[in-house]
Amino acid sequence: MMHTCPRCESKADLMAKSPVEGAWEVYMCPVCIFTWRSIEPESITKPEKYNRAFKVDPADIPLAENVPPLPAKYVNK
Amino acid sequence: MAYKDFREFLTKLEQEGQLLNIHDEVKPEPDIAAATNAMSKLGQETPAMLFDNIYGYTNARVAMNVMGSWPNHALMMGMPKNTPLKDQFFEFADRYSKFPMPVQREEKAPFHEVEITEDINLFDILPLFRLNQGDGGFYIDKACVISRDLDDPEHFGKQNVGIYRMQVKGKDRLGIQPVPQHDIAIHLRQAEERGENLPVVIALGNEPAITTAAATPLLYDQSEYEMAGAIQGEPYRIVKAKDSSLDIPWGAEVVLEGELLAGVREFEGPFGEFTGHYSGGRSMPIIKINRVYHRANPIFEHLYIGMPWTETDYMIGVNTSVPLYQQLKEAYPNEIVAVNAMYTHGLVAIVSTKRRYGGFAKAVGMRAMTTPHGLGYCKLVIVVDEDVDPFNLPQVMWALSTKMHPKHDAVIIPDLSVLPLDPGSSPAGISHKMILDATTPLAPETRGHYSQPLDSPLDVDKWEKRLRELMQ
Repeated sequence: MMHTCPRCESKADLMAKSPVEGAWEVYMCPVCIFTWRSIEPESITKPEKYNRAFKVDPADIPLAENVPPLPAKYVNK
Repeated sequence: MAYKDFREFLTKLEQEGQLLNIHDEVKPEPDIAAATNAMSKLGQETPAMLFDNIYGYTNARVAMNVMGSWPNHALMMGMPKNTPLKDQFFEFADRYSKFPMPVQREEKAPFHEVEITEDINLFDILPLFRLNQGDGGFYIDKACVISRDLDDPEHFGKQNVGIYRMQVKGKDRLGIQPVPQHDIAIHLRQAEERGENLPVVIALGNEPAITTAAATPLLYDQSEYEMAGAIQGEPYRIVKAKDSSLDIPWGAEVVLEGELLAGVREFEGPFGEFTGHYSGGRSMPIIKINRVYHRANPIFEHLYIGMPWTETDYMIGVNTSVPLYQQLKEAYPNEIVAVNAMYTHGLVAIVSTKRRYGGFAKAVGMRAMTTPHGLGYCKLVIVVDEDVDPFNLPQVMWALSTKMHPKHDAVIIPDLSVLPLDPGSSPAGISHKMILDATTPLAPETRGHYSQPLDSPLDVDKWEKRLRELMQ
């Protein structure tokens, strides 16, 4: 079953299953690294209900500021 | 007195009625963070919480709010739990002045019991969960992160133990926030200039002296381990890592060994911060974990951070105030009485001081802003007389109400440095700062009508002591 990242709507990966079988699963988005548990409220798990102010556009991710800055030798490689 | 490990401190808290065992079944989200946030609303004397029935886990235990009150802070120092805050401040200052206390080295530690080097999955090892609704993932935010100065690796004091927020970003990957002002950023810079990864160790679930020292703004070459020893009044116990020369707190529940990857930045956040605001998404370094050890059935200690006050504010209150106090005393040893820099890590600080002459208090305010911590904090410094207790906010408000004249006593200094996480700074990292001089005018500054301050009835001190006895 495919899982969609609620934050940037990319395809996400299964990271973990609950020790008690069937209780929950944890997913992680390889694009924006958003992580969530299957049993969290829909305001966290559903793309259409995720807080719009916290949505991430994958196109913006490479523009995020580096903290701390990268030394010059790693820039523009 | 020293607590040998995290569990011994929890036992002490339980004996003192400062640990609440929660056997109710809780969901990882939102229950644990919600309960901890709610606990912070119940006053300044709240207990730690130990959750042992977490939905989906078989035997996980999560400890929260461990140092989230003044009684727990007093017990951290081995003092009676009802010790007044001002007394805790002066006791901490006394122990701080006994730095450095030599460390005690050990060969084996309880966390060596279980060791994992293959198929590491942090999500299976730790009962991770979300703290705040806008957080980008599950974080580790109360662990000690240890690294060394690569240019001076034999210098024990330049080994750093700090607490940094870390986002779990994979089965064996963490994101970390080393802002440029942090000591670990110096180590990372050295490693990246060489093109090498930086060895790091992450210790979770520690007794509280090292957590306190790691959260204290020490100088770069001062050892947190030698400060932890000074705080607990006994040598601090450490044990060597296997993959590096780093030293690890002996009493840790879980230890992760790994390396900060040179030249790598990856999208991280947002994360609800101690300023009561989320930090935005930024690109930050990555730690790859190569080895994990833990005690059998480890306790996961976590920290809820959010709208102040939370455990964070108790954890970084006294230990932020004391270095400022000591540094101000170096400049004005006969005048400085006490410093309260407990508000949002010292963005607001209150200094109680004697004055030599008119204008003196304003100089004290400026000196607070130029201490190492003040360069990133002290956006507002309130200066009060020596007989005003800076930890007693009604007294401070009285001083502001009656001693401060806005025309003479409100001083704004433009465009100074401040931590970039200050949401009011513009650009991030730059802010005007302000001194409010709420001391009594003193010659040659003669103004106002302050010649008849109220005295107290005779024998008030005697009665205060007696009433405390009667109310025990």
